[in-house]
Amino acid sequence: MVLKTTTCRFSGLRIYPGRGIIFVRTDGQQYLFINQKAKGLFNQRKRPAKIAWTTTYRKQHKKDQDAVVARKKRRTTTRVQARAITGASLEVINKRKNEKPEARKASREAALREVKERMKNKKQEKASARQMDKKAPGGGKAAMKTQLTRAPAKGTKR
Amino acid sequence: MIQPQSYLSVADNSGAKKLMCIRVLGVNEKQSGSIGDVIIAVVKEALPNMALKRSDIVRAVIVRTCRGIRRPNGMSIRFDDNAAVIINKEGNPRGSRVFGPVARELRDRNFTKIISLAPEVV
Repeated sequence: MVLKTTTCRFSGLRIYPGRGIIFVRTDGQQYLFINQKAKGLFNQRKRPAKIAWTTTYRKQHKKDQDAVVARKKRRTTTRVQARAITGASLEVINKRKNEKPEARKASREAALREVKERMKNKKQEKASARQMDKKAPGGGKAAMKTQLTRAPAKGTKR
Repeated sequence: MIQPQSYLSVADNSGAKKLMCIRVLGVNEKQSGSIGDVIIAVVKEALPNMALKRSDIVRAVIVRTCRGIRRPNGMSIRFDDNAAVIINKEGNPRGSRVFGPVARELRDRNFTKIISLAPEVV
């Protein structure tokens, strides 16, 4: 159930049902107070900005600001959501998100190892190709080269 | 809190300006009148050349009190001054206009004419 509340004219506090004083001036102006304390201070012509417990004073002197900031932060973080970005659809992203960290790490390492292996193979083949070049200079170079270029392709497949 | 000898201002254009209560109707001797109660009053001040003169005895209904009243929902409502509207025996106002805000409780006492004439009902 939502209770309908009004605010106190002097203190700015919320007035729940069952409380409150309405003061009606003869010109029709209405003043709502939460209790006799607020009404009394108003009748003394005190200014709420000078009295420490009122909301106007607390707002002026920047009290209760941490709580407000914290609440804002939490709200923004919860709003962040998975969205399809170029090249990665929503399904892929969600799958990646739901993977366990170990599985993710393992797959990542495997991929890295594979890349490393490939690089190593390439290097070796290059080196071997250079040696072959040195061993067999001169005639039949073109034929040799074609053979060599085929060989590394086979190696990577393995 | 209106009792005999209380002065009230008049919230209509009947010509009277100030009333003095001499009796609150329908309440015990020791009780005092509140919003919606009918009083017998004496005109203490009046505008010249109007129907009502000084020292006339009239009936009036209380429409505003400084003490105010407490609503059933717990909220209390108070006014700046004590004021009354002069009525006849049937409960209709003698004047043709009502000035200032009046309390909604008058409707419960069947002063609907006053409610309808009032510029503001709170």
